[in-house]
Amino acid sequence: MDIKQEYLSAAYPGGAKKNIGSNIRAVFANPLAQIALVGVVLALVQFLALGGMISSAFAYALGNTLIYAIVAIGFCLLLGYSGLASLGTAGFIGLGSYVAFYLIEGMGAPYYVALLVTLAVSITIGVIVGFISLRIEGIYLAIMTLALAEIIRSLLMVLKATIKININNIVLFGVNVNEKAVYLLITATFVILMVLTSNLIRSPVGRAMLAMKDSTSASQAMGISLMKYRLLAFVISTVYAAMGGLLYMMYVRNMTTATSTLLTLSTSLNILGAVIIGGAKSLWGTTLGTFIIYGLQSMFLSKIRFFVDHPAFITMITGLLIILVVMFFPGGFAQMLAAFRGWLRRKRIERRIRAYVDDRN
Amino acid sequence: MCVTALAAFAVTIIFRTSTTANFAQGAISAFGCYVVADLLNKHGIPVWIGVFAGVLVGVVIGVFIDLLVFRRGRHVNELGKQIITMGFVSLFFGGIPLVFGTPERIPFEAFYNTVKAKTSPNFVIPALGGEIVITKHAVICLGITVVVLAVLFLLLKYSKWGLGVRATASSEFTAELMGIDTHVITAISWALACGLGVLAAVMYAGGGTSISAAFMTTIQVNAFLACILGGFSTFYGPVIGAVLIPLAASCVGFLANFKGFYGISRWQMVIVYVLLLIAILIKPEGLFGKKTLKKV
Amino acid sequence: MSMTGTERRLLKKARRLKTEIEMLTASRDLRIERETEKTAARRAEQLRQEGLRAAEESFESLGADEIRRAITEKRLREENERYAALRKEILLCGYLLSDEENEALASAHESHLERIREKTTAELSSLSNPSAGKKLELPAVAEEGAAPDTTKLRERCDRKIENAKERLRNVERRLESSGASNRQAELEEGIILRIQDLKMYFGGVKAVDGLSFDVHEGEIFGLIGPNGAGKTTVFNCITQFYKPTGGTLLFRGRENEVVDLTKEKVHDVILHGIVRTFQNVEVVPELTVLENLLIAGHRQYSSGIAASALHLPKLRREEDVIRYKAEKVLSFMGLSAYAGAYAFGLPYGILKKIEIARTLMCSPRLIILDEPAAGLNDTETADLARLIRRIREEYSCTILLVEHDMGLVMDVCDNICAISFGKLLAFGTPEKIQTNRDVQQAYLGVDEEGESDGTA
Repeated sequence: MDIKQEYLSAAYPGGAKKNIGSNIRAVFANPLAQIALVGVVLALVQFLALGGMISSAFAYALGNTLIYAIVAIGFCLLLGYSGLASLGTAGFIGLGSYVAFYLIEGMGAPYYVALLVTLAVSITIGVIVGFISLRIEGIYLAIMTLALAEIIRSLLMVLKATIKININNIVLFGVNVNEKAVYLLITATFVILMVLTSNLIRSPVGRAMLAMKDSTSASQAMGISLMKYRLLAFVISTVYAAMGGLLYMMYVRNMTTATSTLLTLSTSLNILGAVIIGGAKSLWGTTLGTFIIYGLQSMFLSKIRFFVDHPAFITMITGLLIILVVMFFPGGFAQMLAAFRGWLRRKRIERRIRAYVDDRN
Repeated sequence: MCVTALAAFAVTIIFRTSTTANFAQGAISAFGCYVVADLLNKHGIPVWIGVFAGVLVGVVIGVFIDLLVFRRGRHVNELGKQIITMGFVSLFFGGIPLVFGTPERIPFEAFYNTVKAKTSPNFVIPALGGEIVITKHAVICLGITVVVLAVLFLLLKYSKWGLGVRATASSEFTAELMGIDTHVITAISWALACGLGVLAAVMYAGGGTSISAAFMTTIQVNAFLACILGGFSTFYGPVIGAVLIPLAASCVGFLANFKGFYGISRWQMVIVYVLLLIAILIKPEGLFGKKTLKKV
Repeated sequence: MSMTGTERRLLKKARRLKTEIEMLTASRDLRIERETEKTAARRAEQLRQEGLRAAEESFESLGADEIRRAITEKRLREENERYAALRKEILLCGYLLSDEENEALASAHESHLERIREKTTAELSSLSNPSAGKKLELPAVAEEGAAPDTTKLRERCDRKIENAKERLRNVERRLESSGASNRQAELEEGIILRIQDLKMYFGGVKAVDGLSFDVHEGEIFGLIGPNGAGKTTVFNCITQFYKPTGGTLLFRGRENEVVDLTKEKVHDVILHGIVRTFQNVEVVPELTVLENLLIAGHRQYSSGIAASALHLPKLRREEDVIRYKAEKVLSFMGLSAYAGAYAFGLPYGILKKIEIARTLMCSPRLIILDEPAAGLNDTETADLARLIRRIREEYSCTILLVEHDMGLVMDVCDNICAISFGKLLAFGTPEKIQTNRDVQQAYLGVDEEGESDGTA
């Protein structure tokens, strides 16, 4: 470098240097931007399907998977952040779907009324059950929710006999809509809930939950009320599950399939599996997990004969994966990815250390 | 009721020795039950041998789970263990239809028939202006349950194994220091619990219930609730809880006979559940439980 | 002495409002500071540009020595920065250096610096500038013009603060009219914590049995005793992890009011400024060191769940304040380098320091240290003693510690309380304790059977 220039920069150090590449990277590192991007892509799928470029069955299956992803996000907050497990997911999905059925089909209520009622009912039940079972140990929540799910299932089985099977009239913002519009509603809900959850995780609330999961005594000493945050996480997961149920009913529009396949313990376990396998602490990991467990089956494997003949095979693999992941990779895919990244980073550091030592400029 | 008591005992023993609630209890029992059904229906094996074989399968599965999963996963925390058992539920739910075919009805005719054939099936006791019907099957179940539980409680109280279990339950670490092989103790507990589970499932299915992979879920839920009601910290609490819950349920059911309460039977379980919630609210550690303080 | 429900609610509300006011004030000051910094930076950049232009013109008349000095310094600084950046990166990605690598790095750094010096001298030996030319005047950042116009911001913030203060006054008026302030327990001047006849029984085991002592404001108080004497149990009772079987625990709160600790919930104790560390370090491994400190600031946020879910500006501002505070504490503790590193896998000594740093986040009045020296070597223990004194000076708080390391206890403590089997054995200054016969016996073993009291 020119001595004059170098002297000037030495005497007057500073001056901002910014390049465009790092700016773009910063935008994509922003979680909200990531979510927005995924949301746009998901919405695009439906329009492509309308244009005939993607099979509509694929889009339909995608919508179905997204519903489970919504449920799984709530569960992620419960399991990954507060360290609690619930087996009542199916029950709360059932609750949401029944409310949707009763209000929308039975009473002709518009969507937002159904939404509000679902919220109110799921919060109420979540608070009652959570408050009582969380007073003792974490294990009680799993048991009490398992029992609740069984009760809701048996109740709905009884009620099923008395109600009409298909629902047809879904009014969204004053318009009678079809599944394709509901798909967009699902995408919107997914994006909104994803943003809210991601914000929550990166706020004092998320930190408090993590602290509580890792060390109850330290978090208590630091002024975190265990009951408050455990209950919060549980209620959030309940609400998300009920929202999933509501959307499911609007999307699938069939009470029989809802009660016979949706409400079983397997659904709760699949959601649990999705969260565990994807990575209980990572929202994207959870979404990925849902796509592995639900999406893979409905979007791709449905074309392979073996999986059509033996639907139980997937359940079995899910179970096996849950066990293996918990034993060897408690953070799921997200942790594997992070471990890989960490490994790369360490390799890079090693290289840099060597380069620094060998540097002879 | 008897079935629930056995299942509740099985849950407790695993909870005490491995500090986890075994959610796979029902699924394992169902698996054993399928084995028994297969042996009886397809191979015509005598009932008692078939049941014994089924229990043996349960025992093997229990030991297998303890050896292969829980012993290796000692670093796994309580939540992780709980989730592993949930994983097993999924594994068995998927595995049973694959091994034994689709979960259609496999009626437990052989067992049911042997029991029915010997004497008239039911005792009928006139009471309260109605009739209380006690099936022969129920009597046999009650007998088996009482004998098994009595033997187990005696074992717990007086045998070396029982002492080991109790020591492990109060503190695994101390027990290990005192020279108790906690590995053997937990393995035996798992074996026992799963064996008991299969026995319970066979008894339940023998009542004429058709079996499927998930057919033990209700029983298991009841067993868990019994454990919570009775308190996990004693061995007899859950058994008493297991007696109380169906009793409460049938009391509610009995109300349906009266005017104005018709239709209550639909809400039977809801009412019992709410009663249970109230019980826990008043006494969180269970009816017979003791308070424990966490050391910090 | 019992309070009605309304009074308790009002007190709680008053406390919340006070937190909010504190937060708003801190936020205002921080925002003004940031504004000032920004303006100063802009001004400095302006001056730099001007200076740069002037220097460019008068370069020929500059002294060669000056040029040599400046360029050498710059090159050395760049090298130092490069080295520091590498070190930091190594730390952050959790890469453990072997001793050899460590040495190789350090010596490479030294030789790099040496080479740069040599090279620069050689390169600049033939400068055409006059050897004793003039020196360039570096413009100092002028004070005037650096201060931004923050009156609007200040006004806006002050309005909010005033608003909160008004609400607080309202609550206080209502409190006064209910006469809650008159129903206080008595605590003599200068005493911050009074433990009276404390009992904690576990079934038949009397872990603490009728223990009484006072802790004075601003002192470093040691609690010693043989294993199983019930020291940690006393701590757990003070912090409400255990609800004592009997006895009173009185504490002088922030507003000079007397608090009955037994009536507080375990997670509310921190609001009075009582914070503790744990025997086996309880740091959240899944969070970074900085975030671990933020946890301790949890109760200083006044924004609720909705604000958290939506990341409202209020939350962002509060987060800013707490982060700033945490950074200050980290630099006080000498942990700044670790701020972004995950707590998982950090060395034990660092984790212990993080725990102590955490206690400093909430303007502590009483810090309870449970065996802070356990697992530390001699030099680390000596550092710890200095640190404890520094904390007392800096934060003007009281420190209560349980410790097995007698050297540390005798070194730092003003007063010591020795207990055995949950009962008071001796109380007094370190000298008095050292010469006490009972204490010696309890530690060195009882020479006559049955001499010790209170065999539980």
